[in-house]
Amino acid sequence: MSATGTAVCAGTVLRARRQRISPLGYTGIGLAVLAAVSAVRVATGASDLTSSGTVGAALAAAVPIALAGLGGLWSERAGVVNIGLEGQMVLGTLGAGWAGYQYGPWAGVLMGLLLGALGGLVHAVATVTFGVDHIISGVAVNLVAPGLGLFLAKLVFRNAPGGGQKQSPPVRDVRHLTAPYLTSWLGSLERRQWFLVSDLAAVLRGLTFQISTLTIVAVLLLVATFVVLWWTPFGLRLRSCGEAPYAAESLGVNVRRYKYAAVIVSGAMAGLGGAFLAVSSGQFRDGQTGGRGFIGLASMIFGNWRPGGLAMGAGLFGYTDAMQLRGSDAVHALLLLLGIALLVLTVIQARAGRVVLAAVAGVLGAAFVLWFAATDEVPPELVGATPYVVTLLVLALASQRLRMPKADGQIYRKGDGG
Amino acid sequence: MRRPPEQADIAIALHGITKRFPGVVANSDVDLTIRRGTVHAIVGENGAGKSTLMKILYGMLKPDEGTITVDGRTATFGSPAAAIAAGIGMVHQHFMLADNLSVLENVVLGGEPRQRGGLDFRAARARIEQISATYGLQVEPDRLVEELGVGERQRVEICKVLYRGARILILDEPTAVLVPQEVDELFGNLRDLKAEGLTILFISHKLDEVLAVADEITVIRRGSTVASVTPHEVTAPQLAELMVGSALPVPELRESTVTDRPVLEVSDLAVTDPDGRHVLSAISFTIHAGEVLGIAGVEGNGQAELVDALMGVRPISSGTVALSGHDITRSSTRSRREAGMAYIPEDRHRQGLLLEASIWENRVLGHQTVAPSARGLLLNRRAARADTQRIVREYDVRTPGIDVVASALSGGNQQKLIVGREMTGRSVALIAAHPTRGVDVGAQAAIWEHMRAARRAGLAVLLVSADLEELIGMSDSLAVILRGRLVARFDPKTVKPEQLGSAMTGAGASAGAGGAV
Repeated sequence: MSATGTAVCAGTVLRARRQRISPLGYTGIGLAVLAAVSAVRVATGASDLTSSGTVGAALAAAVPIALAGLGGLWSERAGVVNIGLEGQMVLGTLGAGWAGYQYGPWAGVLMGLLLGALGGLVHAVATVTFGVDHIISGVAVNLVAPGLGLFLAKLVFRNAPGGGQKQSPPVRDVRHLTAPYLTSWLGSLERRQWFLVSDLAAVLRGLTFQISTLTIVAVLLLVATFVVLWWTPFGLRLRSCGEAPYAAESLGVNVRRYKYAAVIVSGAMAGLGGAFLAVSSGQFRDGQTGGRGFIGLASMIFGNWRPGGLAMGAGLFGYTDAMQLRGSDAVHALLLLLGIALLVLTVIQARAGRVVLAAVAGVLGAAFVLWFAATDEVPPELVGATPYVVTLLVLALASQRLRMPKADGQIYRKGDGG
Repeated sequence: MRRPPEQADIAIALHGITKRFPGVVANSDVDLTIRRGTVHAIVGENGAGKSTLMKILYGMLKPDEGTITVDGRTATFGSPAAAIAAGIGMVHQHFMLADNLSVLENVVLGGEPRQRGGLDFRAARARIEQISATYGLQVEPDRLVEELGVGERQRVEICKVLYRGARILILDEPTAVLVPQEVDELFGNLRDLKAEGLTILFISHKLDEVLAVADEITVIRRGSTVASVTPHEVTAPQLAELMVGSALPVPELRESTVTDRPVLEVSDLAVTDPDGRHVLSAISFTIHAGEVLGIAGVEGNGQAELVDALMGVRPISSGTVALSGHDITRSSTRSRREAGMAYIPEDRHRQGLLLEASIWENRVLGHQTVAPSARGLLLNRRAARADTQRIVREYDVRTPGIDVVASALSGGNQQKLIVGREMTGRSVALIAAHPTRGVDVGAQAAIWEHMRAARRAGLAVLLVSADLEELIGMSDSLAVILRGRLVARFDPKTVKPEQLGSAMTGAGASAGAGGAV
């Protein structure tokens, strides 16, 4: 039934299949977006919209999200929903705080990664071995991890120098790297405030000035994930466990082993994200993750279960998060930017024939433009919510026809198929 | 009988295979000898134990007793991987393919060629193209599986097995999902494979196909091998008797009971799915009292959506549906049922029954608001139970009692329970989706008889089925559905299965008795 059910839709699928965008096309789109932002900057005078400081902050804010998203990607590609990412991230912050203040930042990173992997292992044991519902197990991890974190923090940090009941002693940051010569030249370009040129320089400077080595590690992990999952036999088998586990089983793939591997790596990625938070902010603090595990999961879903997509989602969140830190002026300019983005979406969705979506995007877009025009600043109470609102709006209205791995979230029992 | 095969000729020999499940013996003392380079058919009705036997041979199940010999060596397969290593490959009845992976990825999965740690796509592609060319499989490595039709998917499955170096292929009911033309193509492929020296185990219960393609036939009944014959020795009726122990039931209608009173009138019905695609468009038909309209089509062409739309489960985007002259286009499912729509759903486990509820509670389902199940707002347990007893008796539902859970019944008995539940005195129309799918011949005969009775009683019947023989035999008129449209009508008295097959796939003009609507 299921095999034949899809067969006839073949023709339609072919037509609906997304066109591939070439690398040149992506560059073009990127430049167009930058030009739009630049135009808004010139119009509003909010220079923080594209300053290199903003870009750097955005990158730093995006990394933990992207790492959590990578964790989600590994796990869900193997068919296990891991909403325990948040909890695994908390374990990562804890591990980084504990090992970090005693043995240095890299030991902290390693410990965070290991504790995250441990959280992944717990989730794997529950879901893969015992067949517990993935959501329930994930929620359990999310509930247990912060409690455990707080308990252990009291135990080990209270009497440590500079530590407290809810925070670790200070942890040194990892090294930050700057591209030599390039950044000062880019900096002088940025200060000219030329349309587009200065913005481009600012973006490039933000991406090369004082970059945490952990950020570089995260970018490498993103690339490595793509290569491993899509170009190696290991990755193919892992993905087949998320698409058709019983087919994989019938070909001699040890589905459980791959699911275990995926969920443990997933936890390790989330733990690394947590470690990044702790190390870059200088200590472990209770509640440090602030829902970034969930945001990471969401950006992975809106990124259509692909590394590039999740990186874009994380980048968007990171950008708005950085904006929010820059103050209400920037957030006010962001209103106009969001309004324009939504109006562009309106056109795209309307041309694709999705009337309802286009209407929703259009109304919201107009509302944001009006809001921008009618006010001089955003109420400070709303500023903190900006990244969440913007990310959700843009991603929800932009991403359609998402395709999750077919057996994602389903409980696999060996030998149940066919 | 045929000559005893030489030792060297034998690809597989099974001796005394017995497999028990809690409460049932699926295979008992099975003996089977398969010669190399032949197409060996294993026939038996649903539930006779064919699939269990094949799962044992493929290492998915372990036999409780008995021995397996492959190429003269005793083998014990702990897993499919072991069977694959011994050169045995299986094409499952339900395809084991990942839709969102490419053909290449599906084929090489589990046995990927490697190059410097990565998957060697170039070598994989070359290998698949070579296999495809050798055996005429026409497989394109870089397409996504979800874009492929049923016949193509099956060829991918065969390619998958050959890629693993199988010399012995097990095909489990390979023709169940194919239209006649695709069956012919498959048989062409099988002959090519045989010519290359491969051995094929062909499992089926379609006797004419078995007689057409097999060199030798083994019959299984109630878990045991009862006969080994060659196609020249037997006729289809003889084979059927071997298979079920009695003559096979034939789907046929006797005298016409068609009246000129329209009961179910559908005009210009259209349904759009959430993505905005038209899954049904311009569907119009009228079923009169005492008439059976059969809907033929390759699965997934809108049959399920049509049934859902008629039952009010799926929203209709335009068009009208009328029952006995009353417009029910906007009616809820419950009011449709109360107005006399009876419904045999295509998947009795998902849509027809609460598997973990008792039989009498299942009797109440769908009739929970009307007598005898209900009195006012409350259920009338006593009357519901009494009526369940009546159904069990009249519809020959074999069960120890009406308090056992539905999952304890065999598929045939579950289906008879559903038929009995739906045939109340109030029914004026019956929507039957695949009513005899996956039931044994006894239940099949009984269900056909109940459908004839319903037709005699003046019900308008819509019959959706994938079994062309059933459609042709049980319908007063036939319509073919293709990509959500009714594309042809035929008179079942004169139509040939091949004509239906052409219309179902949209291959060429549907020339013949009926012609396009």
